[in-house]
Amino acid sequence: MSNLTTFPDARLATAGEIRARKNVLLQLVRFAVLNLKMIVMVTKGHH
Amino acid sequence: MTRTVILGAGIAGHTAALHLRRMVGKEHEIVVVSPNSKWNWIPSNIWVGVGQMTVKQVTFPLAPVYKRKNISFHQALAFELRPEGTSENPKPYVRIRYTDEARSGQEADLHYDYLITATGPKLNFGATPGLGPDGHTWSVCTAGHATEAAKAFDDVVAKLKGGEHQTLLIGMGHGTCTCQGAAFEYTFNVEHELVKEGVRDKAEVIYITNEERLGDFGMDGMNFGHKGDVIPSQSFTESLFQERGVKAILSAAVEKVDPGVVHYELVDGTKGEQAFDFAMLLPPFRGVDMQAFDRDGNDITGEVYAPSGFMKVDADYTAKPYEEWKASDWPKTYQSVRYDNVWAAGIAFAPPHQMSKPRTSPNGTVIAPAPPRTGMPSGVIGRAVAETIAGRIKHGAHGKVHTASMADMGAACIASAGKGWRTGTAAAMTVFPIIPDKEKYGEMGRDTNATYGEIGLSAHWMKVMLHYLFIYKAKARPFWYLIPE
Repeated sequence: MSNLTTFPDARLATAGEIRARKNVLLQLVRFAVLNLKMIVMVTKGHH
Repeated sequence: MTRTVILGAGIAGHTAALHLRRMVGKEHEIVVVSPNSKWNWIPSNIWVGVGQMTVKQVTFPLAPVYKRKNISFHQALAFELRPEGTSENPKPYVRIRYTDEARSGQEADLHYDYLITATGPKLNFGATPGLGPDGHTWSVCTAGHATEAAKAFDDVVAKLKGGEHQTLLIGMGHGTCTCQGAAFEYTFNVEHELVKEGVRDKAEVIYITNEERLGDFGMDGMNFGHKGDVIPSQSFTESLFQERGVKAILSAAVEKVDPGVVHYELVDGTKGEQAFDFAMLLPPFRGVDMQAFDRDGNDITGEVYAPSGFMKVDADYTAKPYEEWKASDWPKTYQSVRYDNVWAAGIAFAPPHQMSKPRTSPNGTVIAPAPPRTGMPSGVIGRAVAETIAGRIKHGAHGKVHTASMADMGAACIASAGKGWRTGTAAAMTVFPIIPDKEKYGEMGRDTNATYGEIGLSAHWMKVMLHYLFIYKAKARPFWYLIPE
């Protein structure tokens, strides 16, 4: 018996979401947002 | 004048050494002891392991940095702790054995006023027969291991291009492993490279893990806040596995590796085998093999170190069931339970318990991901310990004690899923706090406004940026200290 698991019920990214993940302009914006989120996290982590 | 000895030059030890140097005058000596001559930005080893970076890009020699910063450096392995000195001389010291070419095998005693143990983990390949580069699997735990893995991966790609089918098995090499994030990253970087090489259709990529469910990461899973909803890390991760066609073997404790076959036990007690052509399996960690003795020469290793080999610090080590675990069990100051001039930073401290619920198979096999301690908390802890010691040096017993509990600390993690300026992908995750706190944040255990996950090209750029940023910082280039841990 195989114990290999697949995840057929997992929600797959839509074609639009996959395009968005690769769109350079949009990702530049997300890069800025991620930097802000990291800064917030760093601030919370340093006492 | 004081002397602070720091055992280990990884993220925690190196961070502590640089900050302490900055905080105290040159008359106070800082000594770093590390068996390795080079510093390694370990998060990028996964790129070395698929041939997308070289060892030179992820390492640099420590000696020139320490010379420039007026920090003494001994390339040596510490093997014995004498925190009370001897009956003749009560000055505490550590015994070290040199590993550099010139003094290889020579031993010396290093006296100290303050000691930071930041020795990281011992890669315990021996816990699983056949595991590791000396056995039948590869590793990306060190830059050297990753280079060997890359060569083996190249061979696999060549066979795939020759029309052969290949099975690539990546994950955890024991039931108590940690660092699932690194195995996750390597899995998807391998998958990404197979796609780039045009051979993905001939390859089976399998992830084997001791996690109960994907997305656990040894952190009991996470719940990401997203536009008013909460998305469990399980859904987030399963989605990526399904999208990229990666299969998984969950709740598995690898018991033995033979050439081309992994033998494992599942949490329900059933045994299984998985054939492979290429396997990268991480080892479990344990503390480095240090022994401790009191002034009369009595062995006090069991009082200073936990059975796992990690140092006991100000945590609550009372054995209790998962349901009774509290965030407050976790250490704050990282001071040794027995000696107030000794601290353990980064992976070197003994955690009070796991974060994920530990499970045992009917055969008694423990399947319990160990708690991860990634670069960010290791750096923050190293800095906090350095600040405490600096306070002690300047103000004596009245110096401020700095704390860095992982229960009050957030972490940011970028998990690469493929390298490339336009084609790269990574999962960016933030989590707060690292240790779930159900008293403060309810059943979710974490602040869902600050716990966040996102997949995309921007996260890959972020990982590249952090690679260069942290190597710049570790080299102690101008204004390095402005870069947070």
